[in-house]
Amino acid sequence: MTSTLPAATDPKVPAQRRATPAAGPHGRPGPPGRLRSSRPDLVLCGVLLVAILIVQGWNIADYPTLSDDEGTYLAQAWAVQEGRGLAHYTYWYDHPPLGWIQLAALTWIPAMLSPESMTVGTMRAVMLLVSGVSAVLVYVLGRRLALPRWAAGLGMVLFGLSPLSVVLQREIFLDNLAVMWTLLAFTLAASPSRHLWHHFGAGMAAATAVLTKETMLVVLPALFVTAWRHSHKDTRKFALTGAVTACALIGFSYPLFALLKGELFPGSGHVSLWEGVRYQLTRPGSGFILDRGSGSWDVLQSWLYYDRVLPLAGLAGALLLLATWRWSVTARALAGPALTVAILAALALRPNGYLPAMYVIQALPFLALVLAGSTASVAHAVLRRRRDRAERRTVTYGRYALAAALALAACAYVVPRWYDGARTAVTTEANAPYEAASRWMATEVADPDSTRVLVDDAMWLDLVHAGYRPGLGVIWFYKADLDPAVTKTMPRGWRDIDYVVASPTVRRDAKDLPNVRAAIEHSEPVAVFGTGEDRVEIRRVETAGGTR
Amino acid sequence: MLTSVFIAVVSLALFWMAAFTLWWQMHAWRTPEVLASTRFSSPDGGEHLSFSLLLPARHEQAVLDHTVRRLLESSHTDFEIIVIVGHDDPETAAVAEAAAGRDPRVRVVVDTHEKKNKPKAMNTALPHCRGDVVGVFDAEDQVHPELLAHVDHAFRSTGADVVQGGVQLINFHSSWYSLRNCLEYFFWFRSRLHLHAQKGFIPLGGNTVFVRTAVLREAGGWDPDCLAEDCDLGVRLSSVGRKVVVAYDSDMVTREETPGSLVSLLKQRTRWNQGFLQVYRKKDWKQLPTFGQRMLARYTLMTPFLQAFTGLIIPLNVAIALFLDVPVSIAFITFLPAVTALVTFVFEVVGLHDFGKQYGLRVRFVHYLKLIVGGPFYQVLLAGAAVRAVWREQRGRTDWELTAHVGAHIDAPGVTREDVPA
Repeated sequence: MTSTLPAATDPKVPAQRRATPAAGPHGRPGPPGRLRSSRPDLVLCGVLLVAILIVQGWNIADYPTLSDDEGTYLAQAWAVQEGRGLAHYTYWYDHPPLGWIQLAALTWIPAMLSPESMTVGTMRAVMLLVSGVSAVLVYVLGRRLALPRWAAGLGMVLFGLSPLSVVLQREIFLDNLAVMWTLLAFTLAASPSRHLWHHFGAGMAAATAVLTKETMLVVLPALFVTAWRHSHKDTRKFALTGAVTACALIGFSYPLFALLKGELFPGSGHVSLWEGVRYQLTRPGSGFILDRGSGSWDVLQSWLYYDRVLPLAGLAGALLLLATWRWSVTARALAGPALTVAILAALALRPNGYLPAMYVIQALPFLALVLAGSTASVAHAVLRRRRDRAERRTVTYGRYALAAALALAACAYVVPRWYDGARTAVTTEANAPYEAASRWMATEVADPDSTRVLVDDAMWLDLVHAGYRPGLGVIWFYKADLDPAVTKTMPRGWRDIDYVVASPTVRRDAKDLPNVRAAIEHSEPVAVFGTGEDRVEIRRVETAGGTR
Repeated sequence: MLTSVFIAVVSLALFWMAAFTLWWQMHAWRTPEVLASTRFSSPDGGEHLSFSLLLPARHEQAVLDHTVRRLLESSHTDFEIIVIVGHDDPETAAVAEAAAGRDPRVRVVVDTHEKKNKPKAMNTALPHCRGDVVGVFDAEDQVHPELLAHVDHAFRSTGADVVQGGVQLINFHSSWYSLRNCLEYFFWFRSRLHLHAQKGFIPLGGNTVFVRTAVLREAGGWDPDCLAEDCDLGVRLSSVGRKVVVAYDSDMVTREETPGSLVSLLKQRTRWNQGFLQVYRKKDWKQLPTFGQRMLARYTLMTPFLQAFTGLIIPLNVAIALFLDVPVSIAFITFLPAVTALVTFVFEVVGLHDFGKQYGLRVRFVHYLKLIVGGPFYQVLLAGAAVRAVWREQRGRTDWELTAHVGAHIDAPGVTREDVPA
């Protein structure tokens, strides 16, 4: 039997400064010891998780409208599963591939049991898993950042039940996966045991997040701040070095991958990481976000359409926390999330940056946490600030009355709006035209195997399952103009196409794609599903008798 | 295909080896609590144990007097110093006798073995020990005056049979290899050894090691034929379940110097490796009760050879990944050991910074540079020592190659011979 010195092996002996304050003079709760064995935490988190999964999962295939990007990522996940490489068209370093590699792994078993289930609507179910894990991580992170139990629960509710979250987290977006990894990284960085390998793990999770969606890169400084605050000064240099090294080394695997494939730098006849990055960095801007009428303004409005509380109050909360840094314990504990929100907000305010609709996804958990934290701060100020034992009972009652009034007012504003959002999410059937169009293509076309059809990415997998040839038979519509490997199989341009499934996305983008536009112009609708802007038309191309 | 599988298997094996080594190397810094637990706890003022401090000295007249004087400055009240000199070494004997004449706490024991080595010398002195605890130091060690009081407290508060204190090479600025050598000691005594103590299998160091006299006599003292008698003693004691405690305080470590030349470092390392090999083949470690302990023992005793192997394979592996036509996934796997090596490198840089901080030494940019650039060359040296050790053991050459030392860590000038760090 051997051991180190017992006087010091007792973990309580060097009870050094906690990164976040332990129970303060007003009985403010410190970070919990072990959440796993805390029954109230488990019950609260479990109940909220069930509620979130029900609201997010119910009707998940039919709402919101299938997005083109979802189709892209799932189709690439399908290509990975089928052993066709990282994409069924040439992989051109548009995004790091780790995101859809994870999707491929997540959908592996269902796709094996029933290959036809590998469609966007069905496979949205796996996003429930991702949302569930993220929601739990928000709770755990909240607790680790010294939020009281109710506030951590509030954060989880804000994150999981905001109508904006419900819409965006249902969709198969890489951002949702990246958010999960980022949350894991923050949770590990804030580990109460301050274990070297937890920080190392935080770095690995952060790198995974970046390789899932490269925009997570901008969040890393906030993660670093969190790790700094939660490490002990005696072991800090090792812990942080470990985190940074792990993150950097795993991150470098992406350029290494390109290097091994001989595609790091541009050259003739092959794609390159360099070009991919340059494309992303020089994407045409969508205008200033506060400039009425710009693309970014529209994106902002589309977020606020679903929910104003989380984005606006969350942003205000972040600013409040950053402003009260010097006085507020909560503000310092939540420095990481508040800084994340600040960074993301600053980037969104670039004069002419490219602002995609999913941009807000990566901010959602941090908005939720800072909003919950600010609420806790306000609650603390109302209920406990400058309170002592000698305080008159009427004053104490007054405090509780004020707190109750504030809580009621907030609920009165939020609950009806969120109730409407949730009801829309669980009842609306937004994808009926898509499903009908895909059924039509599967049953009414005589010879799918030799038919060439332009579709948007969201429907692509449906038609693959219906017997069309993936890639050159059923074609992502923009590849007909942008991918040399596809255009060279269309020497006669639009005449080599038999059908166009003109969904809103196809009609919107066709104006910049000559081949697609020509195919639409030289075709007649043979079936139309839905009405107005959202209709899906199946158009047969008039090839004027020519044979291929 | 076969090549790919082979490369993948080798790479993954190397990866796990390097990862485990790294994990153990970083043991002390895993959490702030672990770090705090590696220190001596403060003595309570009571002193109940008596010490017999063994000081084997061979042709070390230049530093011996200084070492004895410093040991006599210890704050502990109950100890004796037994200087062990050879019958063929009158100069050192004279210094020792002079010291004994000055202070009754110093005694001299003469070793009359025809072929001399350190374990034989210490076994000669063992019957003369009167103290409850036998401590071992080397003739050129600088010992902290408070050390004995702390060790006394450690024995009493833990009920340990063995207490191992820290040993640290200090002269990192002397050369590129002494920099790495110092850092090796830093990671070993600061961190790794504590893991061994915790797991119940420990190769002890060569000095600043304290054993209860009764336990040591029961174990039959040191193995006179083993080239790493210190490691062997630790393995034998922990294999029969003796409790070993390790404590490290930067101001309480015994300070030493690195070997004076590359050749002597190579010889020293060869001897240790050969000693580890001997300890491995003695199979005392097979008595360890749990499978995990036996694996740790096996791995630790084989480390020099695995290390040599790793050092040679990693560059080869990377070359294969870059220049041979293997699938991208396999190429990725071949990079895994290199990645672990890189992480180790980074932690070494941080370790050097911490070393400088702990010892109040100024580590300059050029030292970090030397650390990094010297890394591969040091690997070559280690690999050379490992190969040499195997070769010598095969040929049955088990004599001691002594290492020459200059007193770079103390003011006393002159060339001395020393034969046991760590």
